[in-house]
Amino acid sequence: MKRINKVWTIAALALIVMIGAAFMPAPKKITVKGSDTMVILAQKWAELYMKAHPEAVIQVTGGGSGTGIAALINGSTDICNSSRPMKRSEMDKLKDRYASLGVEIPCAKDGITIFLHESNPVKELSIKQLSGIYSGKITNWKEVGGPDMTIKLYGRENSSGTYVFFKDNVVKGDYAASCQTLPGTAAVVNAVSKDKSGIGYGGAAYASGVKHCAVKKDEKSPAYVATPETVKANQYPLTRYLYMYLKNRPTGDIKAYIDWILSPEGQKIVSSVGYFPVR
Amino acid sequence: MRQISILIVFFGVMMSFFQANSLVAQTKVEDLKKEQDTLKEKVTTIRDVISGVEERLATAEADLTKLTRIKVSGYVQAQWLHNEAASSYPGNLFQVRRARVKFTYEPVNGVVFVVQPDFLPGSITLKDAYAQANDPWLKTFSLWVGQFNRPNYEVEYSSSSREVPERSRVIRALYPGERAIGAKMEIAPPKLPLKIQLALFNGNDGLTITDASGNSINPTNNDFDNAKDFMGRVTYAFKLGNIGGLTIGAHGYYGKIKANAYDAINSDYTYNKKIDNIGETLKRNWLGFEGQLHLDVLGGLALKGEYIFGVNSTPGYYATSTVVSPMTSALKNDTLTLTTLTTKTTTARPAITRNFSGYYIYLIKNIGKRHQIAVRFDQYNPNTKLAADQIGTAKWDESSSQTENKYTYAGSDPVVATNAQTKTVVNNLLKSGTADITYSTWTFGYTYFFDDYIKFMIAYEIPVNRKSGTRDANGDGNITSTYKVNDVTGIYDYSNWIKQNVLTVRMQVKF
Repeated sequence: MKRINKVWTIAALALIVMIGAAFMPAPKKITVKGSDTMVILAQKWAELYMKAHPEAVIQVTGGGSGTGIAALINGSTDICNSSRPMKRSEMDKLKDRYASLGVEIPCAKDGITIFLHESNPVKELSIKQLSGIYSGKITNWKEVGGPDMTIKLYGRENSSGTYVFFKDNVVKGDYAASCQTLPGTAAVVNAVSKDKSGIGYGGAAYASGVKHCAVKKDEKSPAYVATPETVKANQYPLTRYLYMYLKNRPTGDIKAYIDWILSPEGQKIVSSVGYFPVR
Repeated sequence: MRQISILIVFFGVMMSFFQANSLVAQTKVEDLKKEQDTLKEKVTTIRDVISGVEERLATAEADLTKLTRIKVSGYVQAQWLHNEAASSYPGNLFQVRRARVKFTYEPVNGVVFVVQPDFLPGSITLKDAYAQANDPWLKTFSLWVGQFNRPNYEVEYSSSSREVPERSRVIRALYPGERAIGAKMEIAPPKLPLKIQLALFNGNDGLTITDASGNSINPTNNDFDNAKDFMGRVTYAFKLGNIGGLTIGAHGYYGKIKANAYDAINSDYTYNKKIDNIGETLKRNWLGFEGQLHLDVLGGLALKGEYIFGVNSTPGYYATSTVVSPMTSALKNDTLTLTTLTTKTTTARPAITRNFSGYYIYLIKNIGKRHQIAVRFDQYNPNTKLAADQIGTAKWDESSSQTENKYTYAGSDPVVATNAQTKTVVNNLLKSGTADITYSTWTFGYTYFFDDYIKFMIAYEIPVNRKSGTRDANGDGNITSTYKVNDVTGIYDYSNWIKQNVLTVRMQVKF
């Protein structure tokens, strides 16, 4: 009888331990998904935050702003990184699903940089010229003061926020069919660095091994290269905010992480990867 | 001498060796050249193959680009329904409520074609079929032509997103079938949270309009008059910091509908006017005010509502007389013999213009990622000019001025008159009825989002009819209607609450 009691006691204890373990707060994983432009920045944030907070688990993936926003709407990510503001139709979907407008947090500034091959003598281009180039109306470098060479276009996929921003603010119409779409700004930079006749665009943080082309608003305006000063002063014509989107106001671990991102420590990282802080 | 001979032999051997080696080397060079040629050929072949593949890839890519311009989405709603109304039989059943597939094709940026059929067991209905052109310059204007949702908040709010199974009663009454055929201009400046919708429709879409014999004179979405109806809606969204947002708006309807009758009566069932031409139109004008408040209070919280009021006309029908059995002739070259001339006269019904009002309020709360609860209260008063105790009372008594009316509106059998007998019936029997009864409905819904594509909903709807007056000595004052279930006739007496609650258990799969 005693033995049976002992077995029951052990079993009960084991059960209590198991139930206790089940209810113990597990380390909360924060998922971040979206803009490819912001991947480097987001990874750096996550890496340094996890170093300082070993209990935190942050998973960062890209895919493009559109993909990130879709993931936020369908609930498969906690934070969405987007290099463009959420569209009205996307906001409506979020409202329909969560009865919430979501939360928009501008977390960095970026200057969309125009990449040219280092040997390309062209130094500056106006928005109108860029529009002509990317819409296929200008097809040879000699039309914009360069050598007699066919222009090779490199751009982003249509799920990318950079694609949308460039289309809305520069191309202002359809991209030329000859524009080769590549997955991520790094791929665009890589392609341009190997192609003497190439031109590409993307976030400033990726621009190594290629030449930065100065951009002017119109023919009469001065041309600027994206630098912290020109972006902060809104002189560089292709300046944009980079955002984080959430379904609801952040609480707990997510709030702590976002507060840290917006703190001087987090904003220092923005500068270190080549973007521009918002605070 | 011997040494010289040895040297000569040595050199001879060496010469032969080098010659042999040189021959071998020459052969090797030739072999290498051959190999080089072969390699060149192979490279050329591979280059050609790659070029071919590239060409094919380019074609495939172009085809793929075209395909990516076609989007297919949709959802299926299957449900089990338990209807507590005594007239409902079977009282519980499985249903496919909606099975919609939406095809969107965008051949060039900004131009969209949409077709959305609804596949239900035994029928396929076309829900949407329109072309949409967006302005590429200001990105503000878009023109829609075809069949699409009328511009109203609850109408445009997708059934796949709605928190309760069906739209509120006032919306179902004013916009049956939700869609209409016409053209719409949408103005939505990208930098402003403002949206203006202006639309022109046939106006009779989804309305059931019958002639005296009960045949539909408005087959699905075909117009039955020349009057076109105008609709306008404007909304503006305010941000309330990080806590949420408020959207306010208004919509108006300015339309007309063919009277299709020689008499028109008012909302309170008094005589309005004599109509000379049944093509004359009557008013359908109303105005609605809406608001949607979204707050972030421990997760999403929404309060949404709309109030609509105005006048709405329902066409009537006119009496027709037909000769039923005028003559017989049995023999060849025989003279026709007129035996009995029988005239069959169908009943007529005047058109009516009713003053109405209606509203709905939703309270929605999301709990975590997966749970949502919703409560809706809606009311539809189809006739604001009649108090409850006036419903069912005959009001129209124009016998003195309506001498030409020789038919009756009462009863369901047509009046049959012979050529020798013309029946004269005084038409003072038209009463208000079930179409004038106010309904208030509570709906409670709970939704569980299983994953991105599947959700389950359980909802309970409690419609409460406004009680009509009780029957007076003349037999007026209350409303009744009969129904037959399993060959047993039952009576609904609207001076009491009639239980018509509905429980819905629904599963939705979206793709």
